[in-house]
Amino acid sequence: MSDDFEKNLRQHLHSEAEETREFPRRLRGRIRDGIAPRTRARMVPQLALAGALVLVAIAVLAFRNPMIINGVITSFKQFVQPSPSPTPQPFLCQDQSGGASGLTTQLTKIRPGSHAGDGYDRVVFDFNGGIPSWDLSRQESATFVRDASGQTVTLDGSAGLKLVFRDADLAGGVASDVTPRFSSIREITQLGNFERVLTYGIGLSSSQCVRVLPLSNPSRLAIDVATSGSASTTAAPTPLPTLSPSGTDLGAFSCLDHTGGANTGSAMQLTAVRVAHQPGFDRIVFEFAPPAGATAHLPAYTVSRQASAKFVKDPSGLPVTMRGSSGLRIVFHGANATSYGGSRDLTYTLPAVQEVEQLGDFEAVLSWGAGLSQASCIRTLELTNPIRLVIDVQTP
Amino acid sequence: MGMLMDPTLGRVIERWRAGDRDAFEEVMDRYGLQLLRTARLILRDPTLAEDAIQETFLKAWQRIGSLRDEDPGPWLTRIAMNESISLYRRRHRFQALTERFGRLGGSKHEVSSEARLDLARALDQLTGEQRAAVALHYYQDLSVEETARMLKVPVDTMKSRLKTALRRLRELTGAEEAFA
Repeated sequence: MSDDFEKNLRQHLHSEAEETREFPRRLRGRIRDGIAPRTRARMVPQLALAGALVLVAIAVLAFRNPMIINGVITSFKQFVQPSPSPTPQPFLCQDQSGGASGLTTQLTKIRPGSHAGDGYDRVVFDFNGGIPSWDLSRQESATFVRDASGQTVTLDGSAGLKLVFRDADLAGGVASDVTPRFSSIREITQLGNFERVLTYGIGLSSSQCVRVLPLSNPSRLAIDVATSGSASTTAAPTPLPTLSPSGTDLGAFSCLDHTGGANTGSAMQLTAVRVAHQPGFDRIVFEFAPPAGATAHLPAYTVSRQASAKFVKDPSGLPVTMRGSSGLRIVFHGANATSYGGSRDLTYTLPAVQEVEQLGDFEAVLSWGAGLSQASCIRTLELTNPIRLVIDVQTP
Repeated sequence: MGMLMDPTLGRVIERWRAGDRDAFEEVMDRYGLQLLRTARLILRDPTLAEDAIQETFLKAWQRIGSLRDEDPGPWLTRIAMNESISLYRRRHRFQALTERFGRLGGSKHEVSSEARLDLARALDQLTGEQRAAVALHYYQDLSVEETARMLKVPVDTMKSRLKTALRRLRELTGAEEAFA
C-alpha cells in the first residue's frame, strides 16, 4: 500500500524528470550520425567481393594478353596519385564550413602558393588522417584574437580569414607563422591550439572572395583567395555582412571578434542569461554578481564569430551542434556559473539567435555558445548595476 | 505478451523496418524524452544519460528485426534499462564492489540525524539496479510484475529490491522514524 513517503517519492521523481524539458537536438544529431555508417558498413562485404572479382578478371586478362597490365598500372597510378588540380568552382563571398568530425588527424604542413596568373593565391593545409571539421569566416580587418590568452594580433593586410579546425592535432615542425606576402595572401599565423581545436588567421591585402577545395591523396584543404581585380572570380566580391548605419548611440555593429572586461579579483558569478529581439537586432545578456565581499566587475570576455553552429564542450571536448548555421562563442575568464539557477540550453525562434547553450564552466573559465540563423555582425555593450555583458546580434 | 500498436505507429515501424530513417526519427520523437528522463533518474548525470540513450537508439536501429508486432515502447525501455545499468556498472565498478562486500557482511549502515539527506541526494546513494527499479515503478508507474519483466529479474527479487530501496531511502532521509 502506498503511504505518504511513496507519494512524495513519486512526486519527487516526476519533478526531477521534468527538469529535462526536451530531447536535446545534439543528442538527436549524434544518433542520426551514428546510424549513417550502417549502410556503408553493410556495403563492405559487397565491395570486397566486387574488388576481388575485378582482380580475378584482371589476372585472367593479363594471362591472355600481358599488354593489358600496362593499362591497368596506368589507371592505378592515376588513382593513387594526388588528385589533379581542382576543377573550376566559383569563389564565394561568404563564410564556409565543412570537413568531418571525430577524425584522428594531424595538420602536417601549411603551404602557400601564388597562382597570380590564374587570378588567385592559395594556401594548402595538409593532414595525415583526413580533413577535420572546419569553419572559415571572413572579416573586415587583419586583427585577430588569440585563443585562450585573448590577446589581439594584427597580421599583414587589411582584411582577414579565420580558419578553425576541430578534432585536429598539430604535428611537429609546422610553422606557426608564414609570411608569403603574395598579392592577396599576406600572412598566415596560428591563433590557437587547444583541446584539439586549431585556429589560424590569414591576413589579406583586401577583402576578397574565397574558394575552398577539400582534396584527397593526400588529404588537404586548399583555400584560394581571389586576387584584386581578378577576372577568374565568378561572383563579384560582395561586402561582408552590413554594418548598421551610425547614428545610434549604442555604437555600430562590427564583423570582428570582440574582447573586453578584466580578469581581476574574485571570479564573478553568472546570475542570468536573457535573450530577446529588438528592432534590428537580437540581444543576448549575461548578468553577473560578485561573490560576497568582492568587488563587482565585468570578467574578461571574448566573443568570437564562427561559420557554423558546431561547438566543442569545455573541457570534455564533446561536439555540440546547436540550431542555426553560424555561431558565436562567448568565453569569460574569471567567471563561473556555479550559483546560476537558470536553463543552460535556451532555444529561440528569433531572426538571428536560435539557441544559447553553456559549453563549459571549468577553472573559472565560463563558455557559452550561440547558434545563429546566419553569419551576423555584432555589437557588445558593457553595463553596470547590475554588471552585464550585452551582445547585440544584427538581424537580417 | 507485447502491447498492440495503433495502426499509425504500426506503419511507422514498417517504414523503419524498411530502413527509413525518418520513420526511425519519428519513433525517437515519440519515446526519446521519456527514456532520457528515466535514464537520468537512474544515472544521476545528464551526460551519461544521453550516452545511454544514444546507445539505446543505435542498438534499436540495428536490432529492429527483433521487435515483434508490438508497441516499441517497452522494447526500447528494456534496451535503455540495460544500457543505463551497464553504463552505471562500468562507471561505478569500485563502488559496486564495495556495496557488495557491505551486503555480504550484513552490516547495516547507520545514518545519524546529522547525515539525513534530502530525497535527491538519498537517491544518489542507491545502486543503479535499485534506482532503475524505483524509476520504473514510481516514475513510469509500472507494476512490480512489469518492472521485474523489464529488468529481467524474478518478481520476488523485484519486490525485495523495491522494499530494500524504499527502506534505504527512508533511512537516509530520516522518514523511517515517522512511519515506524
